[in-house]
Amino acid sequence: MIFGLLVLHVAVCAVLACAGRRLGRSSLLVGAVPPALSALWGTARLGDGSAATADLTWVSGLDLAMTFRVDAFAGIMTLIVSGIGVLVFVYAFGYFGPGAARTGRFATTLLAFSTSMLGLVWADSVWTLFVFWELTSVTSFLLVGHKSTDTEVLVAARRALMVTAGGGLVLLAGLLLVTGAAGTTLISELAPVDGTAATVGAVLVMIAAATKSAQVPFHPWLPGAMVAPTPVSAYLHAATMVKAGVVLVAVAGPALSGIGAWKGCGLAFGAVSVLWGALGALRHRDAKLILAWGTISQLGMLITLFSVGTPTAVLAAVSLLVAHALFKGALFLIVGEIDVRAGTRHIDELGGLARSMPVTFAAATLAGLSMAGAPPLFGFVAKETAIKAALELDGPEAWIVGLGVIGGSVLTVAYTARFLVAVFGPGPETPLSARRHALSAPPAVLAVGGLAAFAALGPLDAVLGPAAVRLSGGAQVEHLHRWPGLEPALAVSAVVLVVGAIVGLAMGGRPGQAPADHAARWTDAAIDGTVALGRATVARVQHGSLPVYLVTMAAVATLAATPFLADISLDHLVGWHTPLQGVLAATVVGAAAALCFIGTRLGAGLALGAAGITVAALFVIHGAPDLALTQLLVEAAIVVGFVLAFGHLSRSFPMAGLRWRTVRIAVAGLGGAAVVIGLGAASGNPVGAPPLAELAAASVDEGGGSNIVNVILTDIRGLDTLGEVLVLATVALGVQALARAGAGREGSAS
Amino acid sequence: MSTALLLAIGGLTAVGLYLLTGRSLSRIVLGYSLLGHATVVALITAGGPAGWPPIAGQAAPEDMSNPLPQALTLTAIVISFGLTLFLLALARRQRTLSGDDLVEDDLEDRRIAAVESGPTEPEDPAAT
Amino acid sequence: MIDGSAPMIRLGIRAAGPFAVVVGCYLLFAGHNNPGGGFAAGLVFGAILALRTIAGFHQPTYGISLVAVGIFVVAAVALMPLLWGDPLFDQQVLSVEAPLLGKIKTGSALPFDLGVAAIVVGTVIAALDGLGAAQFAAGAPADADRGERE
Repeated sequence: MIFGLLVLHVAVCAVLACAGRRLGRSSLLVGAVPPALSALWGTARLGDGSAATADLTWVSGLDLAMTFRVDAFAGIMTLIVSGIGVLVFVYAFGYFGPGAARTGRFATTLLAFSTSMLGLVWADSVWTLFVFWELTSVTSFLLVGHKSTDTEVLVAARRALMVTAGGGLVLLAGLLLVTGAAGTTLISELAPVDGTAATVGAVLVMIAAATKSAQVPFHPWLPGAMVAPTPVSAYLHAATMVKAGVVLVAVAGPALSGIGAWKGCGLAFGAVSVLWGALGALRHRDAKLILAWGTISQLGMLITLFSVGTPTAVLAAVSLLVAHALFKGALFLIVGEIDVRAGTRHIDELGGLARSMPVTFAAATLAGLSMAGAPPLFGFVAKETAIKAALELDGPEAWIVGLGVIGGSVLTVAYTARFLVAVFGPGPETPLSARRHALSAPPAVLAVGGLAAFAALGPLDAVLGPAAVRLSGGAQVEHLHRWPGLEPALAVSAVVLVVGAIVGLAMGGRPGQAPADHAARWTDAAIDGTVALGRATVARVQHGSLPVYLVTMAAVATLAATPFLADISLDHLVGWHTPLQGVLAATVVGAAAALCFIGTRLGAGLALGAAGITVAALFVIHGAPDLALTQLLVEAAIVVGFVLAFGHLSRSFPMAGLRWRTVRIAVAGLGGAAVVIGLGAASGNPVGAPPLAELAAASVDEGGGSNIVNVILTDIRGLDTLGEVLVLATVALGVQALARAGAGREGSAS
Repeated sequence: MSTALLLAIGGLTAVGLYLLTGRSLSRIVLGYSLLGHATVVALITAGGPAGWPPIAGQAAPEDMSNPLPQALTLTAIVISFGLTLFLLALARRQRTLSGDDLVEDDLEDRRIAAVESGPTEPEDPAAT
Repeated sequence: MIDGSAPMIRLGIRAAGPFAVVVGCYLLFAGHNNPGGGFAAGLVFGAILALRTIAGFHQPTYGISLVAVGIFVVAAVALMPLLWGDPLFDQQVLSVEAPLLGKIKTGSALPFDLGVAAIVVGTVIAALDGLGAAQFAAGAPADADRGERE
């Protein structure tokens, strides 16, 4: 079923890619079909206690496999990804008017993203997770850059890609370390790990999660990504993709929460982001940016709660994950509707919308109250549980989490109040275009969803509970309560609501300036700097001179030999096996050295022949007559070829400058030394004696010949010989082609 | 392992590298051949001590030299023979086109580098 | 440069031909049990062909065709055992009791070596062509070396 759904997604994607232009806007409705089926499957599975798995092994020895596992948590994520996906597809149908350009392409990319995101939340193998993680980054880049004619859009899209894809590389490094320490690549089998490698890996994984979930200081890409069409912002940058980092922290939590640095990093990212994001939401004046900064803050709270990892905190985080998808998705879609109908989303230019858009206003109020954590909405339950989790802790953790959760909640109430008052509050009435049902229905569904979730808390608890159990490593998890009773958390909640509302209402109508976004500029400067560094490096190393390339490569290769210097053992070295060997060795080096001084091509060819014949003689005294014979014949052929090709070039070799010659001699000498070091070190690790008797017997019995070398070539390793003669055949073709090319050119010239 | 062979391999490699980094195609061919010699001698040296030819029936198995590296070496000789022939044909083609056997700078590479870095021409230490 | 047109050298090359063929054939057939083999045999044949080409007895032609034939033979020997279910390259040993020569033992290594020799000879011919040995061919005017000699 898992593969069936994924294949269906990909197939519809392919159809849309081909027929999207012809289908136009209705391709968005076609695109909604696969997510709808996934959502249905996810709903049908909700009560099922067992996990659905699917697995497609590619290289079993390397643990390379597409492994999926849909457990309780992945089931909830499926509903969020596919359920909201369907609504967003329908909404996009209304968002792009009948005449909008490139809607087919948009639908294709959006469905591709939806597929990647499903793969990500279903993945059990970390490599599968990584692949889909990077796919979401790429599809997100394409979606953010949908209006690709605008420079601002392109800069924002590049920033989003660089930060999230760069985070993907960090993730790969972290996963390699963690899986190496854990001894498995399956997330479901990860056991608690410790040690230096695991610690470094855990920190890298947390950093990767922070890039994807837009945690300070990696956050600037998320507000920038608001240049995307609103369906994209609602779907990717509120409900799903930015949750990928949170999902990663959640599923890795049981294995890594024992590592202090993991928790420390998570709390630092989370707590700072909660507060900084909420402050940003209070200061910005573009309704969409207010929501984007609010998302940074909410994601920070999720990261904080999952990093703490206590059962209550995990339950609060899972609840908040669901609640956030509902209310933030709704609010984004509402802002998109306002943007389409009023032509602006700047809070200074909006007014009187409570009267002119009553349905939208009602939906916004429901979603906003859920975001602020007011009863009787699901956001209240989530926030109440989060406060309870914070109050349960002690030590410095309690202070950090308390500051994050309670301080963040106050600010959340404040920016929610400011948002509602500023967008819907009094003011000169903004003129609106005609109402579109496809635009107002999806946010209303999501907003009512928050209310329904509160009403149906019992069944919901039965779904969220097992997920929390899975993510807290199997610990006992409490139940969610509609009304917690009179307890400290409720008192804190009440104070939060009152203080936050006062601050928010006070700030609501105040005019002001949107803050300058320094962090975005620094991020772009860092990206520009990297690109400039790459260009400078290319300009430096790519100068077009083949000799310099070769010397550089040889010098680098030489460095690789230095670690083996210590391995040379003199015990296994003898002067020579026979004195003749020493004489021949000296002769071959002498002939080679002579090549450097002989000025004419003919003389050089003869010296090359001398060196080759000496090598053949070395083979003779080594006991390798086949090699000696072949070497002699080859050498003769090469010398004839050399003389044919160069013999009549009477001019002597050109001389290079002294400085460059010195560099070449130095690198060549080092290269020779490196080979000596490598071989000398290898001689210290002799392998066992070769199985000569077996080879001799096999040669006669199975190969039918007594020349063992020949039998190896024609029988035992016959495939190697086949490859070798194919190389020769290719050479023959190449040489012939070169000759013909010359003939053609000369023919046409004459 | 024989130190004499080891030093011969080192010497062949060094001279081969020196010739390979020159500008004249004929010397590049010479350098390539010498590197080939160094490689085949290294293969044989790494394969074990000298012995009798590995022909069953003519010597006791324990007195034979190791046949497997010999088979590998034979393949190596053939392949380097083929590639040397190809290099020679390339060199002849170069001579047909330019009348000489010098390796020119890759102008395409140079152009890319110039585009990336702006108008300044990078210094080429190999230019004479 | 070798002056392939000198009468003594031409005579020498002509005389060397049969000897080279005998040596090459010996290497080809002995290779399985003694030093030799298809590659060495191919090089001997190639060498004598090169000499004859430089002396002007031959045009360096049909190199690629010879390579193609060789590849066909080699591939056939490699794949044939698959037909009767044996692994790739499985050796078929053939033992014949001949009336005068005694016991002759051969196997599928022989055609394999033959194929290898054909490929080597073909490559040498192609290289002779590529390196411009055609200029020595009989009938070509002495100055028809396409202006490449400097």
